[in-house]
Amino acid sequence: MANFKINKGFNVKVLGKPKAVVEDYASQQLFAAYPSEFEGLKPRLKVKAGDAVKRGDVLFENKKNEKMLFRSPCGGTVKAVNLGARRFPAEILIERDAQEESITFDVYTSDAVRQLSREQLVDHLLNTGLWPLIKQRPFSKIADPDKAPKAVFINAANSAPFQADFSAVLKGDESAFQTGINALSKLTEGKVHLCKSAGSDVPDFENAESHTFAGKHPSGNTSVHINRISPILPNDTVYTIAAQDVILIGKLLKTGELPRTKIIALGGPAVKEEFRKHYKVQLGASLKDLLDRALEGEEVRVVQGNVLWGDQVKADTCLRYYGSEYFVLEEDRSRHLMGWTMPGLFQYSAHRVNLSSVMGFAHEWKLGTSLHGSHRAMVVTGWMDRHQPLNIMTDFLVRAALAHDTDEMVQLGILETDPEDFALAAFVDPHKTDVCGIIKRGLEEIEEEGL
Amino acid sequence: MKFLFDLMDKHVAPLFEKGGKFERLYPLFEAGDTFARTPGDVTPSAPHVRDSIDQKRLMIFVIYALVPCILFGIWNAGNQFNIANNVEDATLATDLWRGSAMVLPIIFVSYLVGGLWEVLFALIRRHEINEGFLVTGMLFPLTLAPTMPLWQVAIGISFGIVIGKEIFGGVGYNILNPALTARAFLFFAYPAQISGDTVWVGTAKTALDNNMFFGTVAENIDGVTKATPLAVAAAAEKGTDAIAALGDAGYNWVNMTLGNIPGSIGSTSVVAIVLGLGFLIATGIASWRVILSGIIGCAAMGALFTALGLDNAFSQIPFYYHLIMGGFLFGIVFMATDPVSCSATNTGKIIYGFMIGALTVLIRVVNPAYPEGAMLAILFMNVMAPLIDHFVVQAHIKKRTAYARALNNA
Repeated sequence: MANFKINKGFNVKVLGKPKAVVEDYASQQLFAAYPSEFEGLKPRLKVKAGDAVKRGDVLFENKKNEKMLFRSPCGGTVKAVNLGARRFPAEILIERDAQEESITFDVYTSDAVRQLSREQLVDHLLNTGLWPLIKQRPFSKIADPDKAPKAVFINAANSAPFQADFSAVLKGDESAFQTGINALSKLTEGKVHLCKSAGSDVPDFENAESHTFAGKHPSGNTSVHINRISPILPNDTVYTIAAQDVILIGKLLKTGELPRTKIIALGGPAVKEEFRKHYKVQLGASLKDLLDRALEGEEVRVVQGNVLWGDQVKADTCLRYYGSEYFVLEEDRSRHLMGWTMPGLFQYSAHRVNLSSVMGFAHEWKLGTSLHGSHRAMVVTGWMDRHQPLNIMTDFLVRAALAHDTDEMVQLGILETDPEDFALAAFVDPHKTDVCGIIKRGLEEIEEEGL
Repeated sequence: MKFLFDLMDKHVAPLFEKGGKFERLYPLFEAGDTFARTPGDVTPSAPHVRDSIDQKRLMIFVIYALVPCILFGIWNAGNQFNIANNVEDATLATDLWRGSAMVLPIIFVSYLVGGLWEVLFALIRRHEINEGFLVTGMLFPLTLAPTMPLWQVAIGISFGIVIGKEIFGGVGYNILNPALTARAFLFFAYPAQISGDTVWVGTAKTALDNNMFFGTVAENIDGVTKATPLAVAAAAEKGTDAIAALGDAGYNWVNMTLGNIPGSIGSTSVVAIVLGLGFLIATGIASWRVILSGIIGCAAMGALFTALGLDNAFSQIPFYYHLIMGGFLFGIVFMATDPVSCSATNTGKIIYGFMIGALTVLIRVVNPAYPEGAMLAILFMNVMAPLIDHFVVQAHIKKRTAYARALNNA
């Protein structure tokens, strides 16, 4: 148990914080699974359009590890398998039947979980399709089941605008959460760390060590938690998982059925005020109904994730496997007269070159997607590191990644990180460098070359 | 206004875009277009919002910080000219006219020739025109003597932009500060026009100069000689008092601070530089670490020489004279802080700045050939900056590994 204060960081003051209330979202007819969501995964499809599937039937498996299965979130008929670039299956659409059949698995009580061996548990999670919820560092990919990690980090903190409030998510599911923690504690010989935001009313749980993190964003990022609690050394592996996903694992073990629902936060300036809250949504269900009603603005961008880190998705998306937040903002293609010299009262900035930041306006901004400038050659100034609490020398790490210098990247600590840790660096950069993309490619290169 | 912009988007922009008639000239169009209005691009991927700062704003703000130096430099050039040439009816207006006539052509040539190179390289390489040249093109003339022949200005800025910057790949890739590279080139190639006693104040040519704007030159003087404070101090005989020598030449700490003395166009006035410095620090553009450690380095080295009691008159002047004499302050505020050529680590910036200050005084006092040490000190440290950063980064790597091991063993 420790309390950490993160001194460096920056909060993007953006409008549209979701209220901490949870509303039930009506059950839907259309469901989907997105094989393209799992980076680096080579899927082998087990269904084709027109097939009848039960809830829990295998939709596709991992070619590299055939034990790793991905199961259907609902029972019904496969409506379509849409292929993306290079005939990669991008989405599997499933129409739900009125009477859906479910596949059931073994049931374990909270204590029975503790009696399982690591192998049994790993096989069970792989088989039920929930294993991919667990990710690993380095490389921030689906955890390698064969490599026991030195610790497991559960992220129950939130600092980016706007992540789901875990204290709201947890209500009523405490025992499932405990069961999930019990399961995770079997996966490692080390500890399970439960990392919370300071001031949240998430209680402590057995078999996990609780920590609180105070401070601005990225105090809620897993990399920061790892860095402060148990930094990764060469050849170390740690598992990471989002707190809500632990509940899903707990529910699976307790009920013997695939979990049905998940709570998502919907926020952002392009969401109507009355819709900015948390929703209890069926896994894999279409969000079209909700988004149709909730969004406002001419041209909007729906982000699955938060404003700093997430993927752009279509407005008729279904709930994805990962993530529990959606952020919607307006595409801002407006052009401003001589922006290089205007006082900048109405432009948001973390730098003191705008009057708005000099005067320290406290209000929340209706930010859009404007790049606010054009791309220029990167200059190593040290500015990217200004809001970086990880001791990684951001500028130099980015430069090493640009230069494909894998040795220096590793030495500077890229293995501790995930591209999301560089979102603030990309935000403040005046040269509009694609910092997150550069880091992502760097990590891929290192993985290819091997450590 | 909107009507005009719509017209541009509809009829002019397609000519320069891919497949258009003037496709090759796209960088030129883009520069003008984004100068008029911020670009309408949206973020391609996460993070989905970006800070409203960009390179244009950053560079223009450096120019704003230079405004006091530019204005004072213009007035001072005219004022020095009128005093030295005994212009009878000199007023503020004639000072400004005279100064403008001397300085503005230099700035104009610097921008014109420098801009041409920048555009040429952008067109050939098909990348956007970088705003960095706006700063280079302004810094360079401010470091020159007001009597600089314009052809030399053109050659100097060409060397600075092409050799100092473009052959490395443009802004962001260069090792040396391009403006100082340009000045150093002129300093060694044409020393007669940038050093010595005769270049800092112009000589009137009566026939041309007598008119209502410039005032009346009473008598025609053959060559005005005026040594700069640095030259006076460096020339002081062994065993004499350099302060007294400065006083005899008409220099004291008051006029060296105000800057109404002969010298490079933009760098004589401490007051004007400090105004610019305040703006740079308030907006957070320049690194205070470089500037503060540079000033400390300069003062410390000056104090050290005084304490050593060498048999060298220049070494005996109080340390604060080093801060206000010559181009040091201008250099440390505007040149040394160039983010491309300076150290990028925080520790590195402190070492880098300190060394510039210390080396400046060392060169001034010990090397009789170069009375001004700031230019060479900054260029030398530009070269050393990557090395400093290398050691700082290596030290950081050691520290972070030790931190990780300690926490894991705890």
